[in-house]
Amino acid sequence: MARQPTTSYLDITGEHFRMNSEEVRKARTTHWYARTEWGIAVLTYEDSSFLLKHPQLTQGSAKWPAQHGVVGGRFDTWWQKTLLVLEGDEHNRIRRLVNPAFSARQIEPMHDRFRSLADELIDDWIDHGQTEFASGFAAPYATRILCMMLGIAEHDWKKIHELAATIGLGLGVTIKQNIASIDDAVVELTRYARSLVQSRRESPRNDVLSTLVATRDADAGKLSDEELVNLVILLIFAGIDTTRNQLALSIESFSKQPDQWEKLAADPDRYATKAVEEALRVNPIGRWISREAAETFQHRERTIEKGSTVHLFTLISATDPAEFGNPDRIDLEVERSPHFAFGGGIHHCLGHFVARADIGVALSAMATRITDLRIGEGAEWLPDSGNTGAVTLPITFAQRH
Amino acid sequence: MKIVVDQVKCQNHGLCAISAPANFALDTDGKLQYHESFNEENIDDIEDAVDSCPLQAITLSRDAA
Ligand code: SF4
Repeated sequence: MARQPTTSYLDITGEHFRMNSEEVRKARTTHWYARTEWGIAVLTYEDSSFLLKHPQLTQGSAKWPAQHGVVGGRFDTWWQKTLLVLEGDEHNRIRRLVNPAFSARQIEPMHDRFRSLADELIDDWIDHGQTEFASGFAAPYATRILCMMLGIAEHDWKKIHELAATIGLGLGVTIKQNIASIDDAVVELTRYARSLVQSRRESPRNDVLSTLVATRDADAGKLSDEELVNLVILLIFAGIDTTRNQLALSIESFSKQPDQWEKLAADPDRYATKAVEEALRVNPIGRWISREAAETFQHRERTIEKGSTVHLFTLISATDPAEFGNPDRIDLEVERSPHFAFGGGIHHCLGHFVARADIGVALSAMATRITDLRIGEGAEWLPDSGNTGAVTLPITFAQRH
Repeated sequence: MKIVVDQVKCQNHGLCAISAPANFALDTDGKLQYHESFNEENIDDIEDAVDSCPLQAITLSRDAA
């Protein structure tokens, strides 16, 4: 038998596990992967880049509800048909139809509205020298942009936010105990999505939802009504939490590097894009991406068995000193290799152009109006996971004049 | 017109191959292969591929090569 190299074991199940810890960094210096309770964890940039797009590694999320004893309810039925879970021809057909609605070209005209919203939210608390960023900015900003994109009345945002958060519980390890309310939220959002689709069909507007309805009605291969409604629920669920959480993480990272914050403030047109990429690189919401082996295959000396799980550790691969100089620092001047915070391969995040645009606008608005940004007492963070972020993030600052 | 892919930017995600399979494909090593020239009737698909590339690595160039 070939001798296997010694690899570290990381206890990622523990509530104190932190991706950004000495333990994980040390494991990265020893070997390209570490062992965990749930399959191997890939640590280096080079191997992450290769495996993320490996044809034998599929998304593998279909089993998630069943692994927790949830089978056949409203959530599960919806989940099994979402783009996140579908593979092969069915996935590709839907993705091809919906990609154009989320192109940079479609998003560009919305920048001014993103900026007015950001300024309006900042106006509410800028005179106080402090705020709770998660509820005072991140949640309303992320949710109202989603409402804007789908053409939902923005004053409904709290309701939408709540429904999205409830469905989000479906991805937590407590899914089983919350399943009744999660199922209810899916039912309610389905009803809501149906009425939205109906209204856009009757009177199309200039929004993403109307584009999707037109896709359903006009294109060859069409989306079915079921697929369209299913997608709208996915957008509401996946579009809110991600942006909200990434905003808080970005603010946290920039608070530690005032020199880069000042640089962004001085020339946001030049640096906003880079600011988003650097924040995603050093502090991504998705601390790992999971894949499942569709077949047994060999990568370097390691045999990856069919059905086993492979975790790609995003933050760790994107701060790998073998790929990046001064890797843990945000540097708005340097050209960096691409990070994998949006995943990769054909499951590459559908909403990344939207996220890049709205986070860029938000950071620019914050930086041009606020200086001496600091994290206050009592910040509370979610555990490291596929979607981490701030529960509460008190910040203090001085108004820029 | 011809298709140009910036090989430095391209990360082989393969979304172009979903949009315009007549011109783009990933080979068995997962590397992008593409035809520079294309049929006018595929132009809509190719524009979708240009739009959906996460790295914005694809351009259409006017100079006939
Ligand atoms: S979508 Fe872009 S990055 Fe992906 S293979 Fe095509 S050209 Fe390369």
